[in-house]
Amino acid sequence: MNMYVHELRSLRKSSFIWAFALVALAALYLSLYPGVAKDVTAFKELISGYPPTVRALLGINLERLSTLLGFYPMVFSFIVLCGAVQSMQLGLSILSKEMSERTADFLLVKPVSRSAIVTSKVFAALTMILLIDIVFFAALIGLLQVIDVGAFDRQLFFLINVTLVFIQLIFFALGLAISVFFRKLKAVLPITLGVVIGFYMLFALFGKDRGELFRFFSPFQYFDVGYILDHGTLEWPYLLATAVVFLVCLVISYLVFTRKDIDAI
Amino acid sequence: MYAIELKNLTKQYGAERGIIDVNIAIEQGEIFGFIGPNGAGKSTTIRTLLGLIKPTSGSATIFGKNSVQHPEVRKEVGYLPSEVFYYDNMRVVDLLKYSASFYKKDCNKRIQELAKVLDLDLKKKINDLSFGNKKKVGIVQGLLHEPKLIILDEPTSGLDPLMQQRFFELIEAENKKGATVFFSSHILSEVQRLCDRVAFIKKGKIIQLERMSVLKEHSYKRVVIETKTDVDKDVFALDGVSDLKQAGNSVSFIYKGNINVITEKLAQLELINLSVEDPDLEEIFLHYYEKEG
Repeated sequence: MNMYVHELRSLRKSSFIWAFALVALAALYLSLYPGVAKDVTAFKELISGYPPTVRALLGINLERLSTLLGFYPMVFSFIVLCGAVQSMQLGLSILSKEMSERTADFLLVKPVSRSAIVTSKVFAALTMILLIDIVFFAALIGLLQVIDVGAFDRQLFFLINVTLVFIQLIFFALGLAISVFFRKLKAVLPITLGVVIGFYMLFALFGKDRGELFRFFSPFQYFDVGYILDHGTLEWPYLLATAVVFLVCLVISYLVFTRKDIDAI
Repeated sequence: MYAIELKNLTKQYGAERGIIDVNIAIEQGEIFGFIGPNGAGKSTTIRTLLGLIKPTSGSATIFGKNSVQHPEVRKEVGYLPSEVFYYDNMRVVDLLKYSASFYKKDCNKRIQELAKVLDLDLKKKINDLSFGNKKKVGIVQGLLHEPKLIILDEPTSGLDPLMQQRFFELIEAENKKGATVFFSSHILSEVQRLCDRVAFIKKGKIIQLERMSVLKEHSYKRVVIETKTDVDKDVFALDGVSDLKQAGNSVSFIYKGNINVITEKLAQLELINLSVEDPDLEEIFLHYYEKEG
């Protein structure tokens, strides 16, 4: 418990900044919505000039564009990207910072097992991810009260936003599993950006053309907003895939970290 | 039960040498010195013992238990690493409280006491501390839970002489209360002062393990003479003579063996000056170092 509290404390500042950034991003884009809604035809014309891949990347569906649920995916695609960066960075650093900041000699000689250390840190990180998302969603609801958006299906809106958590879980676990293979990981940001943008490009370049199997390798395609809007539910196979990726990465992290040599400086 | 027991402990880093077949058994209540030049394997031995790195073969136990399989045994251990690094944006007192929280006992009084002795400002941020002050945090952190086994890795670097003095007093006091001390250093005089036994490690191998008293009394003598006439080189070509230095008519060497043999030799020379001293540990050690190297 002491480690969990310690981690929460050390994460609070950066988490607050991330939550604030997500809210600010959403506020910026949503503030454009009333203008767009007023002049939908002109906006549609503008957007239809974009290549289809870009439109897919931004989650734009031309027919739905005039409604909030049609417009929001454009905003949300950026939110998800930020969320992926945030959680991957967290995953990469939460264990490795003890090595890179050389505090391992303090923590790892305490009378606790290494798996207890991993557990505390993982729980602290997941708590922070959830907190960020809750703050974000609450602020979002607040924003929608202020901005005139008309009526919309709140349940579908919630469902879209929930996928942020799943994407974050995937990238957090991925980061964690990558980090344990480094002796001393200092390049957290370059790896984060490389992996997240790499997956994003995968999604952008190949889209849905490569078939269902390919989608499993492209986390950004796990939760298709169009599908959610059409069916009112998430796609179960990909929800399952999320769980599998998360658990496998976690198991790898435990196995490697508990056996790892912590070398002197 | 030994406080520390290392059995054929070996750690290899790929092709690189780590430590080879280290065997040490430290009694409870002992102050044990661990001496060797930098890179000899002192830290590797300690890190393996603490479970930070895993041995290639052999075993290391603390109070009879492996510290990886039984992490709770580390409750009895206080460790001061050679270089101390802590969470930079914490205040000293918060860090120490965090450290104490792992031992499930009230350490507040002890923290205050130790900070007073070492003249450490608890309210400062770790970030703002000098190297020496960080080291003090390390000392308090290592002693605040009154461990039964204190492991020190090059503890005095960064401390000024006054603080070194206080530090040694602290360690001696803990030892009197029953704590076992494992003291690694390359500064031999400090080991000489405190330790009951000492092990020399060189290139990953223990080359000598001896009682300090034996080591000191093992009739190692540093002999320095000045003679009236030049001395023939072969006069001192004896068993037990090492570190032989000759400059004109002054000769110095370390002698280990029967004193009578050497006094007989000296009696044959016409001396101007003679001094026979106990060499310090450094000289004895260097003597080993040269011979084994």
